[in-house]
Amino acid sequence: MICTGCSCLCNDVVVNGTRIMNACIKGYRHIAGAKENRSEAKIENRTVSIDEAIEKAIEILKNSRNPIIFGLDTTTLEAQSLAIRLAEKLECYIDDNSSFCLGEIVEAIIKKDVPSTTLDDVRNKAYVVIYWGANPYTSLPRHMSKFTYYPRGEKRPRGYEEDRYLVVVDVRKSETAMLAKKNAKFLKVEKDDELVDSFLLAVDGKAGKFGSEVGVILKEMKKSDFNVLFAGLGLKYGISNMDRFFEMIKKINEKVAPLYLLPAGFHANMRGFNETLFEKTGFVNKYSFREKRSEKEFEFMELLKKECVDAALIVGTDPLKSLPFEIAKKFMKIKKIVIDPKTSLTSKVADVVIPSAISGVECGGKMVRSDGVRFKLEPLEEKEINDVLIFKKILEGV
Amino acid sequence: MPLTPMDIYKLLPKTNCKKCGEQTCMSFAFKLLNREKKIEDCKPLFEEKRYEKQKEKILEILKPLEKATETGLVVNDELCVGCGNCVVVCPIHVEKDPYGMAIGNGPNIDNPILRVENGKVKVCNLSICRRYGKNRILCVVCRENCPSNAISFLEG
Repeated sequence: MICTGCSCLCNDVVVNGTRIMNACIKGYRHIAGAKENRSEAKIENRTVSIDEAIEKAIEILKNSRNPIIFGLDTTTLEAQSLAIRLAEKLECYIDDNSSFCLGEIVEAIIKKDVPSTTLDDVRNKAYVVIYWGANPYTSLPRHMSKFTYYPRGEKRPRGYEEDRYLVVVDVRKSETAMLAKKNAKFLKVEKDDELVDSFLLAVDGKAGKFGSEVGVILKEMKKSDFNVLFAGLGLKYGISNMDRFFEMIKKINEKVAPLYLLPAGFHANMRGFNETLFEKTGFVNKYSFREKRSEKEFEFMELLKKECVDAALIVGTDPLKSLPFEIAKKFMKIKKIVIDPKTSLTSKVADVVIPSAISGVECGGKMVRSDGVRFKLEPLEEKEINDVLIFKKILEGV
Repeated sequence: MPLTPMDIYKLLPKTNCKKCGEQTCMSFAFKLLNREKKIEDCKPLFEEKRYEKQKEKILEILKPLEKATETGLVVNDELCVGCGNCVVVCPIHVEKDPYGMAIGNGPNIDNPILRVENGKVKVCNLSICRRYGKNRILCVVCRENCPSNAISFLEG
């Protein structure tokens, strides 16, 4: 089966009774813990039937002047397209976690502003592998062993021993940085901007703050025609100007050696949402169907801050857990509909809860891996009530 | 802390009595660590009362030996995250399964040395490990590439 625990979408997981083979601890908990902590249909904390909950959700959405659809990162492409159709019909806002995750990087890749590649090509061809602000040990445990540094590839038969060069850029010595031993470099940075400047200067033959280290990395890059940079959340929050970072990638490509950019990883199908919305509207997230444009102020957080929305349809995510207190207080004032297979902090305070199925374990569909490759899911069972059915019913209702 | 033959030797009677069949207590300590001898083979340690305290200490420090596998490999389940680095880097896996574990996938062979099961690495078949048997090589590749230090060897 294909594990939907994170955006690696590992396709070699085997489930044999209670034994789950080849999945990392995240995947194991995702699959084995599927039956735990399930949500049930509720209206204002009163248990009801699923149809009643859907009816109530339709009523809230109809009566709302400014609703928002938020989340959708763990559901399938089919459910995401239906959610976008619903947003179009309601002329409302739609946003997902990518607006404060790696959306900017995915947008640049989808628009082909920066060169990108697939993880299979990385395995077969990549020489210099850079992890910038990412610690796959915690977020994507199998990333290094399945795709990037450790496996042997067609053009890299000697694998990590001689055919790869690992660079880890982080603010602390993370577990991934510990692995940077032979043929590797760990760069401890205080400000990511300084390292970007160093790269830009080094390309022009000048020395910046990290002059000697950057010189060694660029020299290694020249040895190969395929190098890759994985950008993580540490980069997104550490850098003040993302355009400068993209300029650095382009400059290295022009003057030194081919360097491809890939997002390190995120929720299972976040890139799927970005691609689906991009096909429909030309923007990857934070979109308003009423004003037909995407703006920073249409972000879920900004809308809540300015009290622009009066109802929210939350799908497969738990915003209350991560919202700052002041914004969480404002979030509590609006009507909340939650579609989620599991109980979460948000579903506990929601006005309507609609239980659903876990994509990839209990229902099929398609998902997009972090590098843009599409996969057809192979669920263990097919549940009758899933995100697609719920969205179809809501669409009919409104 | 890794256990060394010297740690064991310090607690033995050091009389070179040869009752265990070895020429010296030091060589007995080596073989004890390699699990070719058992601590019970040291007769004076168990029979004579003056070695009582030493015996207790030595039994205490030998406890990790019971947990360790035939090659001295110890996997700490609590630290392992199932990343599979150890499975992919193992030179024996690469040789025997070039289109499975060598390229990062799950094993295609029946009995790999290590495999990830239920999110943790599990020791399956040590008889093909480089560290197994008499002509062994002290290979530490799996330990070197474990990000969480979940893999360790008795000798350190």
